[in-house]
Amino acid sequence: MSAIPLKAMILTLLKELGLAFLLLMGVSFVVFIILYAAPGDQFSVLLEGQLPTAEARAGIREALGVATSWYGQYFSWLMSVLGGNFGTSIRTGLPVAGELLNVSLNTLYLTLGSMAVTLFVAVPIALYTSVRGHSVVIGWPLTMLGYVVSALPVFWLAYIAIYISIHSFDFFPLASMSRSAEGNNWLYTFIPVLVLGLGSGTISEVIRNLREEMSRVMNEDYVRTARAKGASVWKHAFKEGLLIPVTEIIASKIPFILGGAVIVEQVFNWPGMGRMAWQAAQDRDFPVIMGIALVAATFVRMGSLLQRMVCTAVNPQSRD
Amino acid sequence: MLYVAYGLFIVTLVLVSYVLGAFDLLPYDPQQINMELMMAPPASEGHVFGTDFMGRDIQSRLIMGIQAYFLPGLLAISISLTGGIILGVLSGYWGGRIETVITYLNNLVDSFPRLVLILLVIAAFKPDIYYIMVVMGITGVPTVATAIANKIRFLIQKSFIEAAIALGLRTQTIILKHILWYNCRALLIIQATLGMGEAILLETSLSYLGFGVQEPVPSWGNMVQSGANYFLQGNFWPSTAPALAILLTILGFNLLGDGLNNILEDRRGK
Amino acid sequence: MSQLIRPLLKIENLRTYFYARSKQSFVRAVDGVSLEVGQRETVGVVGESGSGKSIAAMSVMGLISAGPGVIGGQIYFSSPRVQRNLLDGLGNYVKIKEENSRVMEVRKDRAGWQKASDKLMGDLRGREIAMIFQNPRASLNPFITIGEQITESIRLHTGLKSVKEAKERAIYWLEQVKIDSPRLRFNAYPSAMSGGMCQRAMIAMALSSEPALLIADEPTTGLDATIQSKIVDLIEELKSETGISTLLISHDISVISRLSDRVAVMYGGAVVEYGPSKLLLDMGEATKHPYTAALLASVPSEQKIRDRANLQTIEGDVLDTINVPSGCRFYARCNKVTPEIKEKCISQHPELREVSPGHQMRCWRY
Repeated sequence: MSAIPLKAMILTLLKELGLAFLLLMGVSFVVFIILYAAPGDQFSVLLEGQLPTAEARAGIREALGVATSWYGQYFSWLMSVLGGNFGTSIRTGLPVAGELLNVSLNTLYLTLGSMAVTLFVAVPIALYTSVRGHSVVIGWPLTMLGYVVSALPVFWLAYIAIYISIHSFDFFPLASMSRSAEGNNWLYTFIPVLVLGLGSGTISEVIRNLREEMSRVMNEDYVRTARAKGASVWKHAFKEGLLIPVTEIIASKIPFILGGAVIVEQVFNWPGMGRMAWQAAQDRDFPVIMGIALVAATFVRMGSLLQRMVCTAVNPQSRD
Repeated sequence: MLYVAYGLFIVTLVLVSYVLGAFDLLPYDPQQINMELMMAPPASEGHVFGTDFMGRDIQSRLIMGIQAYFLPGLLAISISLTGGIILGVLSGYWGGRIETVITYLNNLVDSFPRLVLILLVIAAFKPDIYYIMVVMGITGVPTVATAIANKIRFLIQKSFIEAAIALGLRTQTIILKHILWYNCRALLIIQATLGMGEAILLETSLSYLGFGVQEPVPSWGNMVQSGANYFLQGNFWPSTAPALAILLTILGFNLLGDGLNNILEDRRGK
Repeated sequence: MSQLIRPLLKIENLRTYFYARSKQSFVRAVDGVSLEVGQRETVGVVGESGSGKSIAAMSVMGLISAGPGVIGGQIYFSSPRVQRNLLDGLGNYVKIKEENSRVMEVRKDRAGWQKASDKLMGDLRGREIAMIFQNPRASLNPFITIGEQITESIRLHTGLKSVKEAKERAIYWLEQVKIDSPRLRFNAYPSAMSGGMCQRAMIAMALSSEPALLIADEPTTGLDATIQSKIVDLIEELKSETGISTLLISHDISVISRLSDRVAVMYGGAVVEYGPSKLLLDMGEATKHPYTAALLASVPSEQKIRDRANLQTIEGDVLDTINVPSGCRFYARCNKVTPEIKEKCISQHPELREVSPGHQMRCWRY
């Protein structure tokens, strides 16, 4: 294998971090604007929530000399957020940041797990149908299956999974994430991951995308050269045909998976960001939901960053 | 192509059902409770799709459910297409700094998971489906914009646009007639169908979560939700009927979009 | 050619067809091609685009992927290490229906054919037969350094298995192909190199496994004119140094004439003239296939420039290989038809016949 181009990767990392930062600034601005435009003086509620002391909660604005212009307010809120203070939840009165930390890890686990499931299903199908181009007999039903699975409402799929596990396996998968139940513990976590992996609606697109890329690469001149010299075609084709497309498509699907996670977490009572967001929306608990929006956007950008790093590591033409 | 045929079939079905629902031309009152005939299976005593756990006719409820997403969905895709066209043309035709800015905006919008953004809007404002569809429309803009911008760049590369300019055509004409109408209309139709599919998925997910149309007014999402407990007890049908409706409808729109896309590519001679 | 020494490569009646869009008819890309490459000999195959020469070369290597592909013929390969028919038994996977000696229908078990072919070709590709292509920058893997691509060949096909030894050998070959700073280029990626350098690297890669036969498919096409001539020089030098046999495909007559001992002229999927290159390509020689004569007349040369003569074009369109005419394929564009043979030219397809020792032609004039 060619050496890992350390210098190029560090440069990419820095560049991408910069881009991600700019985008997240934009995200925070959008979130702020939504809040600012909302009826009722949401902002001071938020601000008050960010200040813990009792006196602060009573008419703080004038006391603190908080800027009255919108960009001033944005700035002070932003500073607060960057300092780790996301305000306090209207419902529970607890600081948002703390709660978010736990739940976001749970959601991260769910997200990564479901991505693995999606790839586990999609990659073999894509590779098989791309290589066996002319044997359409098996390819077509599989593709069709992919479409159907993509259109399935994930909440219904969840019920099917629950039903099966209750009645066939005598197992009640509504998670309490309790580490005390040994043995079957992995099942608690596995079923939601499985459901989200299959039901996030991305499978058919992933299959199609991967198959197209692999077919395209198989017809490239350099793959023909590999065949002509008796080398392993797979070894030459997989970088451009599989590795890069997979990272690209997965990075681009993270927002969808997170969206699906909201539903799956609600059904399975999974203590993640998604369920918290749902709860927050019902309670109009906007400090919480704002924090969640920021964290979710951060996940998305990190995914994108990782994908660019892989690209730099693998593709010499992407380095300057 | 099969895909297109099925897709068109579904779209027609939806359209017809929408009209039926809008004018209340339903076999039964979707909210009429009939405790005598609960959980009737399909094709029993005049109820084509059976009844749910409160004896309400499922077919009528399904038809009414379309009201929940049809117009809002149209709103969403109109916003996506309009915004997408404007930004796409600006970015593709003029390029340069404008393109950088628009790319930034696209990436920005794409950074949000749709559902999370919508929940944010719900928390800040109110769970009004039209607000929600506006947000949905906005989140759909980047896809359309990039598709159009790419198409324009492709045309530029093929010197198509240079030729048009050299012929002395006005910019307005070039954009509206030649680029959009002749070259992009298929693309836009495809985006519209796919966008509608996504809008349906979103509306049903939201109403499942309890944020859309409220009981007893039917929406496919809340029908699945209210039937959930019965499902787990073995009475599958009240939840499954709407779920199947969702599945078949979204499938229809997606297949229509993909089918048209395939035809388009075949014509161009991949 | 002594009968006792077997030729390195003997292609007999090779046929490679492709389905036309409608699948109702065929593109008869290679329609009964026979030719030989002897030991230490270079045979050039010349013809215009669409004549089937590249397809023929790819058929030898077993690289045809479209359907139905190779449907008939024999390819005898005989090197010091391996003697084999590359299409041995593959006829069993193909069923042909013929009418008036024209193929009407083909049914081929492609999966089975491919598997059997891979078994026959597997240990030959890269080791006994190496191939280089046009568009060298696209033909090298952009994700891997050229050094690694060359050592891959070396470690696969020669006795050198250790990374270090293979690297030294690769650098040796990079020196042989006259690449500047071979040690530096070893770690370079194809995107950092020019077309000419990439072609040199490809040649190094092909020769580094010390094959018996080199197939060069349009090696100079796509390169700058000055670089083209340098590559031709390089190939000439390497040929005499290594004694390798070459099957050289090109539409460029000057390249063919500089490098080939024998030449096969292809038109419409068939060989129309075949013989020593001096004989065929010499301007003055009278006995020539009309197509060859026309080809030569259309190439600019010093003499022509001096005489300010007009370049001769060949009238007519490229042969439609789907609807192949029943008579001589070149008839429609031939300017040497005489009234005596006209009948035959229109209705009968001429055979390849020997008009003088070592010189074969497919024309009713002889």
